[in-house]
Amino acid sequence: MASKLKLLAAAMATVGLLAACGGGGGADTTPKAKVTSVKVMGDSLSDSGTFGYKFTVQGNDPTTGKPYLVWPERIADLYSTSLCPHYKPTSQTTFVTANAGCTNYAIGGAQINYVDASGQVVNSPISVLQQIKDAGAAGVSSNDLILIDGGANDAAALITAVLTYQSAAATYAVTGSPADGAKALAAQKYLQAFLASKIDTATLTALLSQGSDGIVKAGGLYMQTLAQNLATSMQTDLLAKGATRIAVLNIPAIQMTPKFTTVLAQIAQAQGTAASKQAEALLDGWVSAFNATLKTAAGNDSRIAVVDFYTEFKSQISNPAAYNFTNATVAVCSKIGTDELSTCSADKLAANIPQGETSPDWWKSYVFANSFHPTPYGYQQMGQLVSRSLAQAGWL
Amino acid sequence: MKKPMRISAAVLALTACGLAGAQSAGTWSARVGITHLSPDVSSGNLSAPSFPNTKVDAGSNTQLGGGITYMVTDNLALDVPLATPFKHDLTGAGAIAGVGKLGSTKAIPATLMLQYRFNEAKAAFRPYVGAGVTYAHFYGEKTTATLNGLSGGTLANPTTAELDDKFGALAQLGFVYQFNERWFVDASYSKSFLKTKIHLSSGQSISVRLNPDVFSMAIGYRF
Repeated sequence: MASKLKLLAAAMATVGLLAACGGGGGADTTPKAKVTSVKVMGDSLSDSGTFGYKFTVQGNDPTTGKPYLVWPERIADLYSTSLCPHYKPTSQTTFVTANAGCTNYAIGGAQINYVDASGQVVNSPISVLQQIKDAGAAGVSSNDLILIDGGANDAAALITAVLTYQSAAATYAVTGSPADGAKALAAQKYLQAFLASKIDTATLTALLSQGSDGIVKAGGLYMQTLAQNLATSMQTDLLAKGATRIAVLNIPAIQMTPKFTTVLAQIAQAQGTAASKQAEALLDGWVSAFNATLKTAAGNDSRIAVVDFYTEFKSQISNPAAYNFTNATVAVCSKIGTDELSTCSADKLAANIPQGETSPDWWKSYVFANSFHPTPYGYQQMGQLVSRSLAQAGWL
Repeated sequence: MKKPMRISAAVLALTACGLAGAQSAGTWSARVGITHLSPDVSSGNLSAPSFPNTKVDAGSNTQLGGGITYMVTDNLALDVPLATPFKHDLTGAGAIAGVGKLGSTKAIPATLMLQYRFNEAKAAFRPYVGAGVTYAHFYGEKTTATLNGLSGGTLANPTTAELDDKFGALAQLGFVYQFNERWFVDASYSKSFLKTKIHLSSGQSISVRLNPDVFSMAIGYRF
C-alpha cells in the first residue's frame, strides 16, 4: 500500500513540477491591423508642436526622458511610428509646409469653419477641412490610420459670438447710449456673418426673425452643417482616395471645461442661475447636435470609427476618481497664474505646490493643464479612449 | 461485500498486481482522453484608473487529458486528473466589450478528487460523485497591443499581466463503463469554484471568478 501511495505522491509531484515551469508576463505588442503611417488632422488637442510647443504642460516625461505626449502621439507609438508637425506658422492663421514627410496636420486653434474677427472665412490650414484636403492631396493609403478631431473650437466660437451679442444687446437696452448701441450692432453683424458662412441667407433671415429662439436653432443648424462638412471631407478627400481607417473624435462636453465653467459662473453672477443654466444647455445642445449629425453621417461605414469623446469626458469630470484624477475642475497652470501653456512647465508646477497639495507631482493627476486643454495624464486617458474605439474597429 | 474479503482483495492486488477484480480496493488505473475547460466567468471591475465597469471574459480550451485513479476501497477512489496545460484567451467585457483579445494565460490545475463510486467493484457501469481541491497555477501570461493601448502602455514599456495562483474546490459527477476486466471509459463533469486576481503592470487589478465547467472523457486501463 505504501508504495502505491508513493506512486500517487509521485504523480502529484509531476503535476507540481509541470506547474513550476513558466514565469512572469510577456507582451505581444503587434496591433491587429497593419498600419505603416498615422496621419492626424485637427486642432490643439492633436497638435504635436506646430508652434514649437504642445498644448499641455511643457517638460519631459520622467519615465521616457522625452517631452510629454499628446494623444495622437500615444496612438502612433502603438503602431511603432512617431509624429512631427506638417506645417509651420507664418502667422496665427497662415502656414507653410514645414516638412512634407511629417503627417501631423493638426494645428492649435484650428476650426472646421474658421471665421476671423472681420467675419470672413479663412481657408488656410487653420481650417480642419483644409488640413484634410492637404493630407488627401499628399496621398493616403490602406496602410494609413487617420486620426481626426475638431469642432470644439467652432462650438466655442459660436457660443462666444452669441454671448457677446446678447451681452452687448442687454447693456444697450439698459444704458441706451449710442456707444453701446454701436457695440450691440457690431456684435449682431458679426454673429450674422458668422452664421451666414454656413447657413443660406433666406433660412438665416427667417430664423433670426424669431429672436433668441431663432439664434438657438441657427446655432444648432450651424453645428450640424459643420458635422456634415467634416463627414463629406472625410469621404471625398480621404476614403475616396484609398484610406480605409479613420478614427474621428466627437466634440467633448466643453461646457465642463474651466474656460466655460468660468464664463457660466460670470453669467450666473450677472444674470442669475437660470440664465447660466440656459447658456450651459445651449452650448451642450449645439455640441450634441454636431455629435449626432457626425454619428449619422458616419453611419455603418466600417472605415470610420467615431470616438465618443463627449460621453467619456463627461464621465471623467463627473467621476474623476475612477480615472485616478484628483481634480477635474481647476487648471494646473492657473495655480502659477497663467493660462498660457508655452510658459507653463512641469518644473514650475513642481516648484509651486499649491495649498492643499503636498507632492511636487500634485499637478499630474489633474484633468486640466489650462482652461481648455488636458494635462499629460489627461492626454493619456484620451489615448486610452481612442484605443478602445480602434480595438473595437479591429484595428488595434 | 464483506470487509475481510475486501482486505484480501487488496492484499491480492498488492502481491499479484492485476489479478484482482475490476475497480476493487487497491487497484490502480490510468486513463487518457480529452478535457474541455470552459470558464463561466463572473468578472469584477478593473480598479482605477479605468473606464468604469471594465470587465474581462475568458475563453474555453480543450487539451489532452486523463488521470490516475487509486481505489482506496471498493467504493472510494482517489483520483488525480491530468492534462496538458490549458491556454485561455482573456477578452474585454463591460465597458470594453468588443475590443477583442487582451491577453492569454496558460493554466495548470493540480487537482485531487475523492470519489464515491456506486455499484459493486465488478459492475460494468459505475456512476460516481466526487469532491476535490485544485491548485490552479497560471503562467505564461501574454498581453496584446489592445491591452497596451487601453491601459496607457507604450511600445517601450508595454503593460503586462500576472494572474494569482489559487486554490479552488470542485464538485463532480461521472461514470465509469467497463468494457472488460482491463479497459474502461470514464466520463465526468466537474464544476470548479475558482477565483483569481489579474494584476496589470500599469497598477490596476481585477478579481475574476473563473468557475470553469470541466468536461472530461477518457479511455482507461486498470493495472
